[in-house]
Amino acid sequence: MLEPMKIDYKSLVKRVDADKMGDFISYDEEKCNGCGLCNLVCSFKLWSVKDGKARLAPRYQELCLECGACWDVCEPEAIEFNFPAGGTGIIIEFG
Amino acid sequence: MEKWDVVVVGGGPGGSYAAKTTAEQGLKTVFFERGRKPGEKNSSGCGLGQRYWRDFPDVMEAVTKMPSFRKCEMVYINLIDEDGRLRYRSGTNGSDLCAARIDGNHGMDGANVYRKDLDPYLAGLATDAGAELRTSVLVNDVIMEDGRVAGVKTDKGDSIQADLVIAADGAISTMAKKSGMRNRWEGGNTLCAQLDFSCDEQKMDDVLGKSNWVWFGALAGAYQVNFRDGFHLGCGTWLDENWDTDAIELVRRVTRFPAFQAMCRAVDAKPREYQAHTLPWLRKPPKTHMAGMMLVGDAAGFPCPLEGEGIWHALMSGRAAAETAAWALSKGDVSERALDEYDKRWKATDLGKEHEFGQEFVDLWYNSIFDPDSMVEQMQLLLEFSMLHPFSIVFDWSDAHMDCFNQHLDHLLELAPQFSDFGSKFIAPMARGIWPSNVKRILSLVKPRVPILRNLSDEAFFKVVSKLSKGLAPFLNPAAKQDAPLPRGSLK
Repeated sequence: MLEPMKIDYKSLVKRVDADKMGDFISYDEEKCNGCGLCNLVCSFKLWSVKDGKARLAPRYQELCLECGACWDVCEPEAIEFNFPAGGTGIIIEFG
Repeated sequence: MEKWDVVVVGGGPGGSYAAKTTAEQGLKTVFFERGRKPGEKNSSGCGLGQRYWRDFPDVMEAVTKMPSFRKCEMVYINLIDEDGRLRYRSGTNGSDLCAARIDGNHGMDGANVYRKDLDPYLAGLATDAGAELRTSVLVNDVIMEDGRVAGVKTDKGDSIQADLVIAADGAISTMAKKSGMRNRWEGGNTLCAQLDFSCDEQKMDDVLGKSNWVWFGALAGAYQVNFRDGFHLGCGTWLDENWDTDAIELVRRVTRFPAFQAMCRAVDAKPREYQAHTLPWLRKPPKTHMAGMMLVGDAAGFPCPLEGEGIWHALMSGRAAAETAAWALSKGDVSERALDEYDKRWKATDLGKEHEFGQEFVDLWYNSIFDPDSMVEQMQLLLEFSMLHPFSIVFDWSDAHMDCFNQHLDHLLELAPQFSDFGSKFIAPMARGIWPSNVKRILSLVKPRVPILRNLSDEAFFKVVSKLSKGLAPFLNPAAKQDAPLPRGSLK
């Protein structure tokens, strides 16, 4: 095998009106069991686990891909995933 | 409060086709898209199969004229071993017979286009038919009345009433969640990472031609969909207990293949865009409707259980839901029981036929290439199998040809116990899909070779075989349908 191709993945994502996206991921600390699956699946590692509880990066909107994988893997359903406000967020030109 | 006959949530392929169809049926229809225009919030492999020419010929005609269009006549499969060596490359192939399966000789004519070309075109069909499109609007809640969905709410603060809601809002369906139909997919959802590359168009024509590619390696796999001047590398697997990494790592593993890097050099490929999305890949679509609402496309869990394609499935289900809407509203009954008609309709199409084998198709993948534990073993098996095809025998010059053949056969027989276990568990169950007419034809080839059977009539011969084999009996029952398990045809 060769070394993986050197690619700056973060630079390959476009967004519009990132400041108007709103708070579209919320989580309930009570329900969180600290398993860390949300961070495992996240492309840009926007979650972390501290003292047995997940934490979401405060400015996650700047990097989040809006894929919702963190919501889907959350066994105790502590994560609530909605979408950014209409007309804001990720723009996919070559999807 | 604003009131419509039908509110469609989502301006992707499923939503637009549903809105087009309800508008054509004379229903007052509005559809909502959260992007600034349809297509800018969507990512997918976006390879459109030949069957569009049968089921949606006008769409396909338009697709061939879109800026990102590349024709796809073949899929090349590349198998990479643990050391990164390209060990096998083969293409799906076709013949004039394959081409003739679809009117106009389109049976080999697949197409690839980016969603930024496809989705606005499909939305245009809906607005041309009289549906109203509202963009940059996120539908974020349902209005419930007496246990039925009676409308939607938007992030602009509007409440909109509807006699029927068609939810085409994707894998993470807000409508399904808010109405209480479903929350998470619980193991049935996959996560796909897609890396798009720009390429030199002429070099793509020369090197890749009219093809898509698939890459399989130990603990790594990807589809490569080739567009006019770029391609997607898409990698994904189920979000379940086998998941061991983040989405980007799936892509990185494939970019380590020397043959992949060589292909990139040959077409001047440069990374252009990174995307991630989830895709439900289910053994069986769950509940598709409730009083006042039907789900279509990804929201309903319709993507193909064998290869995960979902756009054709979105169009088919969007059309079936829209026709059901017209039927239900003409009767004035949108109860859950009335909307059972939706299931009847989509199941009667080729979409239903595809899902009839959902369990078998998903089990096969889940336990082979997508199972980290058995992936390496399965690769070995595939590689040994590939050594036995005629060209391997002809061009293996390490020994006398008959000895080469026997050595390959020997390797394969070594692996036979492992294969027979896998085969009986995950391949044999699919045999129920073989057409009875084909089973009879195969048996008829055997009959003349066996002296005591030779003089029996076909009818008597099949009776004897039915008595001897429980497995074959259902195929030979005179009442068995002679072609496909479900009647062919689609809602037109």
